[in-house]
Amino acid sequence: MKSIQARLSLGLVAVLVVVGVAVAQVTLWLFEAGLQRYLEAGLRKESENLLVALVRGPNGLQLDERRISAAYQRPFSGYYFRIDFEQGTWRSRSLWDLDMPKLARPGLEDGHELGPEGQQLLAYRGDYRRLGQDISISVAQDYSPVREGFRRLQQIGLGMGVLALLLILVLQRITVTRSLRPLERARQQIAQLQQGQRSQLDAQVPSELQPLVDQVNHLLAHTEDSLRRSRNALGNLGHALKTPLAVLLSLASSERLRDLPEVQVQLREQLEQIQQRLARELNRARLAGDALPGAQFDCDAELPGLLSTLGMIHGEGLLLARDVPPGLLLPWDREDLLELLGNLLDNACKWADSEVRLGIEATAEGYRLWVDDDGPGIPGEAREQVLERGSRLDEQVDGHGLGLGIVRDIVEAWEGRITLLESPLGGLRVSIELPRKGR
Amino acid sequence: MRLLLVEDNVPLADELIASLQRQGYAVDWLADGRDAVYQGQSEPYDLIILDLGLPGLPGLEVLTQWRAAALAIPVLILTARGSWAERIEGLKAGADDYLTKPFHPEELQLRIQALLRRARGLANQPRLEAAGLHLDEGRQCVVREGVDVQLTAAEFRLLRYFMLHPQQVLSKSHLAEHLYDGETERDSNVLEVHVNHLRRKLGRSVIETRRGQGYVYAGSSNG
Repeated sequence: MKSIQARLSLGLVAVLVVVGVAVAQVTLWLFEAGLQRYLEAGLRKESENLLVALVRGPNGLQLDERRISAAYQRPFSGYYFRIDFEQGTWRSRSLWDLDMPKLARPGLEDGHELGPEGQQLLAYRGDYRRLGQDISISVAQDYSPVREGFRRLQQIGLGMGVLALLLILVLQRITVTRSLRPLERARQQIAQLQQGQRSQLDAQVPSELQPLVDQVNHLLAHTEDSLRRSRNALGNLGHALKTPLAVLLSLASSERLRDLPEVQVQLREQLEQIQQRLARELNRARLAGDALPGAQFDCDAELPGLLSTLGMIHGEGLLLARDVPPGLLLPWDREDLLELLGNLLDNACKWADSEVRLGIEATAEGYRLWVDDDGPGIPGEAREQVLERGSRLDEQVDGHGLGLGIVRDIVEAWEGRITLLESPLGGLRVSIELPRKGR
Repeated sequence: MRLLLVEDNVPLADELIASLQRQGYAVDWLADGRDAVYQGQSEPYDLIILDLGLPGLPGLEVLTQWRAAALAIPVLILTARGSWAERIEGLKAGADDYLTKPFHPEELQLRIQALLRRARGLANQPRLEAAGLHLDEGRQCVVREGVDVQLTAAEFRLLRYFMLHPQQVLSKSHLAEHLYDGETERDSNVLEVHVNHLRRKLGRSVIETRRGQGYVYAGSSNG
């Protein structure tokens, strides 16, 4: 799609060229017509002068040399005449050895080429009757200088036209840029929206943009609202299913089944499977993913609460440290990220001896999150398996299994990558690379 | 130990009450959030188990009102809403622990024991120890100098309360309030009988009598 700026420039140039050329041409034509009318008057006068110079001589008609202009005597002077009458034709001396044809009809005519210098002639023919004879007098004037002048005028006009066009284009560019500034601002705001730096578009826009911006804001609010509603519904569903499950789990380990140990084991295993599946699928369904462009996660505001929660759950003996630059904002939904970090850290806390560290940093491609613990870690060859199978390396502690599965779902929804490494603290390092959004 | 269970699901509440009573806790049960706000403040509970999805008043609101009224009893939240965002909210509202449904009954038992010990400043002890005695809460027996001493349910309850409050003078009415739920007839003679049984099994000096005041747990170290 071409930019509006380019379209406007192209349209403007086309209009200006068509109109400019037409106006310039018409002006020149009108001017030339006026000039020719003026020159015609001069030529008519000239022919009348020649008529007056015709006198009756001893051998019939005679041209009184004294009465005609000296210009007719000088060869190729640019002023010529030809007089046709019954006895013959007289030509001015200035024609020298060239022939000027008699004009086809009386009146003005231009376009005759004459002589070695290619003079353009503007000629006038007048028919008179004098001394009892029909006399046709043609007078011609070199029109080349005028033509030359017009051509130069045309060139100057063209040059000025091009200059004016350039000037207009520059001014138009400035005007258009200026009037398109709200559009540019909206474009930048949409980019910020994708980066998670804002959650709404600015509503203070020109009336042309108002419906668009309103609609975008409406859609954002709508998406957020329906996400909240669906999360709420999922929460209710979870509640409706998990409470009976809790009853069943409690029943399965109650005294009443003590005499049926096989039934008890079976019941517990099946219930546990239901529980894991339910937790996993509900969590997956809760994910906002990329649905909310305006989402953001304020590390400074959220992490202390998360870490103190974990500290409370896992006891005071565990050192929970974070290595996060201050003021870092991550462009993902708050609940999704809390779920990701909560599960990662919870997992690490379950395995750690005394220390768990969380690190987040912005990289060129996006963001990198890593969680270290000083627990036993996972040997290199087993790490692949843990990730591949959605991980049930350890089913007894429902940590590595379920937790990492949920983490993997979230990371996949964000098109990120998760790797298990050896931690400098001695245990496991889970490293997650997340690409920047809106690319 | 007297617990308040606030849970609106009747079958789950039945199961929990049965299981908690087997573990020697006196349990009061409420299903409505508004009742819980009042009763949590008016009765001397040692721990409260609070469901979040309650009729009448949401559990988080109940908890917020308790904490606003400076109620310091440990609260364990029990909920089906297990997302981390909700956990953080719950703990910010003043909960001491958070258990998501469905859970194993043993998990709940361990969390309750840990919370009760933590509330007494006895954090991170796998077994309850006080003044020379070890109480095994799983088997409901007491270990003295490496020898198991079997206890009846009532003796276990009484001894556990003493061991969680060592060197404190506990009146008979205080003990009765914390050892029996709201519906049991409180007879101080029964308490005396149980104290005597404990003395017979563990030595006279385990529990001292302060005349007119009550009892003090002294343990077997100085006996």
